[in-house]
Amino acid sequence: MNQPPSPRFYFALPRLLARFRGGNATRAEKNGSEAWAASVAIYAISYLYFAGFVPDPLSWWMRGLIFVALAFLVWLFWLLMLFLNSLLLKLVHSLGLFRSLPTRRGQGVLLAGATTAMAIALTQRDSFISEIGAIWLIATALNLVASLILVFNNGDRARQ
Amino acid sequence: MSRLGRFAVKGVFWRQYLDWAIVNLPFFFYPLPLTFFTIFFFFFAAPARRAVVANLAFVLPGSSRAMNYLRTFRTLYNFAWTIAEAAIHRILREEFSYEVDGAEWLEELGAGPGAIVLTAHMGNYDLGAALFAEKVHREIRVVRAPEPHPESAEHLSASLERAGESGVKVDYNTAGALLSFDLLKAVREGEIVSIQGDRAEGDVAQVAARLFGAETKTPTGPFVLSLVAQVPIYPLFIARTGCRSYQIIVRDPIRVQSTGDREADIGKGVGQWCAILEEVIAAHWDQWFAFVPIFVR
Repeated sequence: MNQPPSPRFYFALPRLLARFRGGNATRAEKNGSEAWAASVAIYAISYLYFAGFVPDPLSWWMRGLIFVALAFLVWLFWLLMLFLNSLLLKLVHSLGLFRSLPTRRGQGVLLAGATTAMAIALTQRDSFISEIGAIWLIATALNLVASLILVFNNGDRARQ
Repeated sequence: MSRLGRFAVKGVFWRQYLDWAIVNLPFFFYPLPLTFFTIFFFFFAAPARRAVVANLAFVLPGSSRAMNYLRTFRTLYNFAWTIAEAAIHRILREEFSYEVDGAEWLEELGAGPGAIVLTAHMGNYDLGAALFAEKVHREIRVVRAPEPHPESAEHLSASLERAGESGVKVDYNTAGALLSFDLLKAVREGEIVSIQGDRAEGDVAQVAARLFGAETKTPTGPFVLSLVAQVPIYPLFIARTGCRSYQIIVRDPIRVQSTGDREADIGKGVGQWCAILEEVIAAHWDQWFAFVPIFVR
């Protein structure tokens, strides 16, 4: 049996908190709760961002229809973005740049960057939606600070 | 095969896309595409959806059809995770945790001479074969039903063999007798042969059995092989318990003894197998990936 002795995390913030509690601070890609929290947050922010472009004068049923279709269009948007980014990463790697950056990490940078840009746009809106954008920005900032602390403490390196 | 055939539900395109996604997507993004692809296949893989709904009516008697549609969605969602995690193991070589239920039988299987592993289309059977080959450092020969698309079959065989790092060999159970002799030779030489015994497809030899009080067909191959080679059958299943966590379930071996009445001997073995299968499916119905109707109405 190869069960790890304590819960392990992917993101820097929970890893740092685990370390403060005397747990394991090494990165692991096997925490389902983290994966769910991050993917729901990414999806919710991108959905709310694009929903803001649905024009107000449309009838309620048309708006409802568009909101349903948008759920799938947002998914397609991410699929396309990730595909284009994979081509871009290939190009960058072939030019000899960022060769030590694994493709999945590169895609993670795109996801986090694009979602953060959308979250910034959400904070400009006048509703509870701006709070959601702010929560993302705070969580991302805390995670970056935590990753810096971990890097300076134990030199956590990106895996290939 | 036509170019469009690649995009059929069982076409190779989806398997290749999964491989691409495993290499390209960060771990924390997986739930999103897996959920959307489950929705996509829930609507487009209509025969599989209908088959799971029909099978659940026998496994969970008294359940409503509407609830069984929701349960089918859950089953397809679990299937999406299991094939994704099998690909993660194969391509990224990430760590997986597992616990064993029936460790004594697993040790006996790993240490003993040739044996038959009888399993079902349940949980992560592909990953299970690879993990098992790695754990006991023995070669395992996996017998599967043939894939409808040749390109998919080729991709799947290559994937399974790569996952087990030459510890896994794949054979397809077609109607020919050649495979039976091959398998007999293999178990007599001390190899482990893994067969899926929860359904009999195509022209393979089969026998009527009772599962959840209904009639079904089970392949006779594993029981005949056990009888002729006098090797035990180990019922083994691998169920997903969480993100990259599995439970290997091993039950008491079935020993098909010769009493002179071949049909009765095989029938006894089949009865024992169905009792175990029923217990495991009842506990893990949402991981029973039987995408064809199993029960005879």
